[in-house]
Amino acid sequence: MSNGNDENGDENLGERLYVESPIIMATVRVVAPFVLTFGLFIMFHGADSSGGGFQGGVIVSTVVLMVAIAFGIEPTRDWVDPTTIVAVMGIGVSVFLLIGMGSVALGGRFLEYHAYPVYHASKYGIELVELAIGVIVASVVVGLFFAIAAGVSHGDDAEPAESEGLL
Amino acid sequence: MLALVLACALATAVLRDVLGSIIAFAAYSLGVSIIWVFLRAPDVGLTEAAVGAGVTTVLFLLTITKTVRPAGEKILEPIDWTGVVVSVLLVGVLVSTLGALPAVGSAETPVATSEVTDYYLDNAYEETEVKNAVTAVLASYRGFDTLGEAVVVFAAGIGLLVVLQKEEFA
Repeated sequence: MSNGNDENGDENLGERLYVESPIIMATVRVVAPFVLTFGLFIMFHGADSSGGGFQGGVIVSTVVLMVAIAFGIEPTRDWVDPTTIVAVMGIGVSVFLLIGMGSVALGGRFLEYHAYPVYHASKYGIELVELAIGVIVASVVVGLFFAIAAGVSHGDDAEPAESEGLL
Repeated sequence: MLALVLACALATAVLRDVLGSIIAFAAYSLGVSIIWVFLRAPDVGLTEAAVGAGVTTVLFLLTITKTVRPAGEKILEPIDWTGVVVSVLLVGVLVSTLGALPAVGSAETPVATSEVTDYYLDNAYEETEVKNAVTAVLASYRGFDTLGEAVVVFAAGIGLLVVLQKEEFA
């Protein structure tokens, strides 16, 4: 239901917010893979050290935020594709629910991992749940980022009611 | 460290420039996260550092690009004394409950003496096969609560879309 004003407004925003800087672009290009790895590490290794899905998800989402700030929000949004973010959000919740309800279907209680006939079911189950949480958190944070960025442009298009509700 | 956190909190409240206020707020979050690590709560510290000092700052910065800088050369915001009185009263009420808390590191806290804690610490590894007891509680013993938590985050995203009357984040 996005209205026609969005496209014009977003280009506007890209011009205003985005200042091309070779230093920032090069830094992000070098740092982003490490941040992504660190986020995934926090997500997966949360089982054995501190960390977990919530923290890891936020760190992974930071990668998209960094790329957006370095290379412009509008190209990044096209690259990520906003519809995918919503889909990924739904997938995360579904995976969590499926793991939880799957053990019920197999005769256990909610999230009783031992109901699964898999070796080390509990360990892998927890990793999967952490991953699902991370996916939810990362996609919601990225979504909030893009939504707020789009909300900025609405200020010019005489749609203050909508953006005020958000902010 | 406490002094740094308090100074940053004060700076956040009184700085006239919103950008400066946000930076002070990020520093405040970082200080709080270091305090969490000192209190042996690295999981909470990690969350505070990632969310409070990281993402929230970016979202705030994005938000203030929509606003204008206040005119004038003054650095500090004029202080609203009614607000100060109210917040001091609130803090006073909260501080009056501090006496009921056990000392930091005391062995007689309900957390340390509760049999639930012992059960988690004794059985978490055998039952859930993960070494981090926090994760064991989060994803296994209290898995249903965590599902609720994750759905709250999900609902925040969906709620935003509903408010904006959109079907995608654009």
